[in-house]
Amino acid sequence: MQQFAQQVVSGLAQGAIYGSLALALVLIYKATEVINFAQGEMAMFTTYICWSLITHHGLSYWPAFFLTLLIAFAGGVGIQRIVIRPLERASVLTVVMATIALLVVLNGLAAWLWSPQIQFFPSPFPNTTWVIGGVHVSQQDVDTFGVTLACVAVLWLFFRFTKLGLAMRAGALNPDAARLLGVRTSWLLALGWGFAAVLGAVSGMMVAPSAFLQPNMMQVILIYAFASAVLGGIESPVGAVVGGLAIGVTINLLATYVHFIGSSLQLPVALAVLLVVLIVRPAGLFGRVAVRRV
Amino acid sequence: MTSRIGPAGFAALVVAVAAAPLVSTHYRTYELGFVGIYLAALLGLNILTGLTGQISLGHGAFMGIGAYTTAILVVDHGWRALWTIPVAAVVTGLVGIGFGLAVTRFAGPYLALATFALPLTLTGIVKRFQGFTGGSLGKNLPLLHSQLGLRTNPSLWLYIVAWSLALLLFVLAWAVARGRLGRSFRAVHDSEIASTANGISARWVKTLAFGLSAFYCGAAGAVFAIGVAYVNPDTFPIDLSILLLTGVVIGGTGSLGGMVFGALFVEFIRTTWAPALVRAFTRVTTVHVNTHAAGSPQVIYGLVLLLVLFAAPAGAGGLARRLADLVPRLRRRAPSLSRPSGL
Amino acid sequence: MKRSALLVAAALLAAAAVVVSAGAAPSATPGVTARTILLEGTFPLSGPASGYAPIPAAMKAFFSYTNAQHGVNGRQIVFKYDDDQYNPPETVQLTHKYVEQDHAFALVGGLGTEPQQAVEAYLNQQKVPQLFVSTGATTFDHDFTANPWTIGWQPDYAAEGAIYGKYIAKNLPTAKIGVIYQNDDYGGNYLSGLKSGLGASHLGQIVSAQPFDVTSPSPLQQVAALAQSGADTFVIFLTPTATIQSYVIATKLGWKPAHVFVNSVSGTSTFLGLAAKSGSAITDGSFTVNYLLDPTNPQYNSAPGMVLYRKLMAKYDPSGNVNDQLNVYGMAKAWNVVQLLKGLGKNPTRAGLMQAARSMNFSGATANPFLLPGIVTRTQGRYQYPISQVNLVQFSGGVFKPVGGLVDGRVLPK
Repeated sequence: MQQFAQQVVSGLAQGAIYGSLALALVLIYKATEVINFAQGEMAMFTTYICWSLITHHGLSYWPAFFLTLLIAFAGGVGIQRIVIRPLERASVLTVVMATIALLVVLNGLAAWLWSPQIQFFPSPFPNTTWVIGGVHVSQQDVDTFGVTLACVAVLWLFFRFTKLGLAMRAGALNPDAARLLGVRTSWLLALGWGFAAVLGAVSGMMVAPSAFLQPNMMQVILIYAFASAVLGGIESPVGAVVGGLAIGVTINLLATYVHFIGSSLQLPVALAVLLVVLIVRPAGLFGRVAVRRV
Repeated sequence: MTSRIGPAGFAALVVAVAAAPLVSTHYRTYELGFVGIYLAALLGLNILTGLTGQISLGHGAFMGIGAYTTAILVVDHGWRALWTIPVAAVVTGLVGIGFGLAVTRFAGPYLALATFALPLTLTGIVKRFQGFTGGSLGKNLPLLHSQLGLRTNPSLWLYIVAWSLALLLFVLAWAVARGRLGRSFRAVHDSEIASTANGISARWVKTLAFGLSAFYCGAAGAVFAIGVAYVNPDTFPIDLSILLLTGVVIGGTGSLGGMVFGALFVEFIRTTWAPALVRAFTRVTTVHVNTHAAGSPQVIYGLVLLLVLFAAPAGAGGLARRLADLVPRLRRRAPSLSRPSGL
Repeated sequence: MKRSALLVAAALLAAAAVVVSAGAAPSATPGVTARTILLEGTFPLSGPASGYAPIPAAMKAFFSYTNAQHGVNGRQIVFKYDDDQYNPPETVQLTHKYVEQDHAFALVGGLGTEPQQAVEAYLNQQKVPQLFVSTGATTFDHDFTANPWTIGWQPDYAAEGAIYGKYIAKNLPTAKIGVIYQNDDYGGNYLSGLKSGLGASHLGQIVSAQPFDVTSPSPLQQVAALAQSGADTFVIFLTPTATIQSYVIATKLGWKPAHVFVNSVSGTSTFLGLAAKSGSAITDGSFTVNYLLDPTNPQYNSAPGMVLYRKLMAKYDPSGNVNDQLNVYGMAKAWNVVQLLKGLGKNPTRAGLMQAARSMNFSGATANPFLLPGIVTRTQGRYQYPISQVNLVQFSGGVFKPVGGLVDGRVLPK
């Protein structure tokens, strides 16, 4: 029983990480209807920037953290304006390839600028471990989880209760109608990317202390983050995090108790589970079912 | 997919393919053999992406399935390498159909996501069933050797096998594009709803497109295994799948002739062209860039891709077409009714 | 018709541009000219294994030093290397290029078990030396009859695992072992060594063996399973990142194994320091083995090899990290190559090189200065493990302190 509880707790910790990156994916999709394959690399790159600020420019953690968020925002807006917007009218393939190209460039650039060597990245949270009923819970994991939840809450409040959030949703759902209503859809898309980049940066900086900073840090996490986002419903921030937690726990439990799966089949099994869920409920757990009108 | 490449163009290609080894070193022939392999793969991916408009970021995995089929048949069952190629193609095609059935309910970017996970899934399965696949250590195939006679060097043999396959598949792709199947593919690409309303089952067509493209990649993978003489889970990473799709885009989705350029790109960009560009950049700007710097070929290749997406989204095929339009024609012809290929 | 022909013409032009190439005409002995010897090797400079990238840079530094000292028998060593990204087909293509286009004299230091496996048969068929591959996979040392042109260099993984097994069986006979190992040949090699070192009678000491796949983002689940298994001896056979993660996760889970054994690739002060900095409380006391001079241990500061190492790093590889033991590894290997080449005299041949590699005896005054004092480099007859002695060391206060004297991983011939 204790092993079960421990694996569940560990799975939740891992799942919170997937959920935090999934949030960024959901935001971009919700605001701009684009699936950003470069999200993980953007998160990694901005985390490297923070690391560089701390290590090479002597800033302490929190100033570096917030400065990085600003830089991430600017970077996200910049990428949308310079790379994505000119391709607005292009095909889905072109846009997907553009984000793939970004993935390739950012990954290579990080290795080029900062070398592929693994680096230490500090965590702002203390390193204590609590023991609850025989189960070890790390404070860093709990705090990461808390940060993720805070991001979800902020995002949800933003979309539900602010004019800007409403405008963003409208702009993504029906750009032409929104434009007719006076919404500056073009800048909203850029804002969406900016905010998503900020979320990605937060995710990267939460992950880096335990995953250790290296150019490939986010690659596998990206796949799990996609799975989480799709599982939860690609437009639902709450869904993204719930999806992440669900996937984290499921994988851990399957790997521990179903020996046929072993360690190499963890990812395929996670994806198979995802596939089954999507066949049964295509919109994901929290998504709204879209009806196509002919 | 417009089939602009007429018999004259194809003949020119065949002549070029026949002539190239005569002016190349053994090593260059070896590299060009791989260009042939990638051409076969790109022609298949083009059917799925260019013709039917479905994005796949996982076709390297289908090459992997073909390669492993060949490896297992040759190493464990003593088959002769050439005979394994059609088997690998059929096996992979069937897997492609199975995969297609599962994922074609998803559209656009969701489909891309599902295919993105395919290479990792394959790696996991290969490692898990290592008694069958050789696990992480993989399988060593017999060294590439000519089956034509003692004098033919192995690189030439690979070249002949690869390009015979590629040209055969080229003709097949051309026939598919021109025929009824091609029209169904294009119809689904244009509008799934409209084609469904017209009695074409979009799902079955897309599934078939997956199967056919997998068939091509499986054949390519089989020759790949013969050429490299080694397979293991690291051999078909996600980078390869990305590179294949990039090759299709750079060649020009829908353009058969453009795929030749795409194949050249896939083979030479990271190993030859990007480092050459870095060296040229260093010389021109006198900024010292470490040619061994990790990541520099990648940055170049990503930037090239972006450049193509911006400046020439129809790829090399589109560029060639535009170039051709600039040349005054001797014979006036009625405007072509075929659609432009850029999606 | 014209359009398509133009399109194809464009493709042909592109093809022609790549077709015309300048390949060096093979000389009497490939790779050897009046003034130069060409050595080449493939290394993962990017991608997941790129942590090993310092090795070729350090090798090159030593070769540059050798060249400054009038080279080898009047010839300068030209060492070129390329990135194969740890992707075997890439390795195969590059190796074909080295052999068929560049006509290298020998391939030196090629890194990676699978990449080098992929080219082993080809190089042996072409009779090109596959010298001192950078991997501890036992097969490269062991299978010399089938592959006479291939030889390893460093202490092999199975031997290292056996050293841990023997130590545990002798000194910790009641310990309960929990192993985490990479789920491939690398980890498997170590594990089988561990088991053979323990011997049949002590095999039951292993209470849990958890495989870890590199596609998993973290060994969280495996370490949790080990912690729950009641093991008090933690054995880690992983690559560096996963190793550091295992150390940190163990502490997070409140697991305090009495003994920790970590493989030498990942057991460096850099990596253990990183683990400690990230909160691991179990790095102190970790056992591993070492055979190279350790730049982070002041004990070796005055060793002639260390002095030379620091001098060469400063002069030829100033951007390299002096504390990274991989640089010592690179220089030690390059030193070995240079010794062999010097011994070949004015007319080096590939066959001569392999003969020399298979009958090495660098010990005492002629020992490799970059290895720990007393370690010999010896091959002869049916014994083809160039370096097999190591020192068992224990991490304490940020450095590795020797535990006992040199240990033989294999039975050295006299």
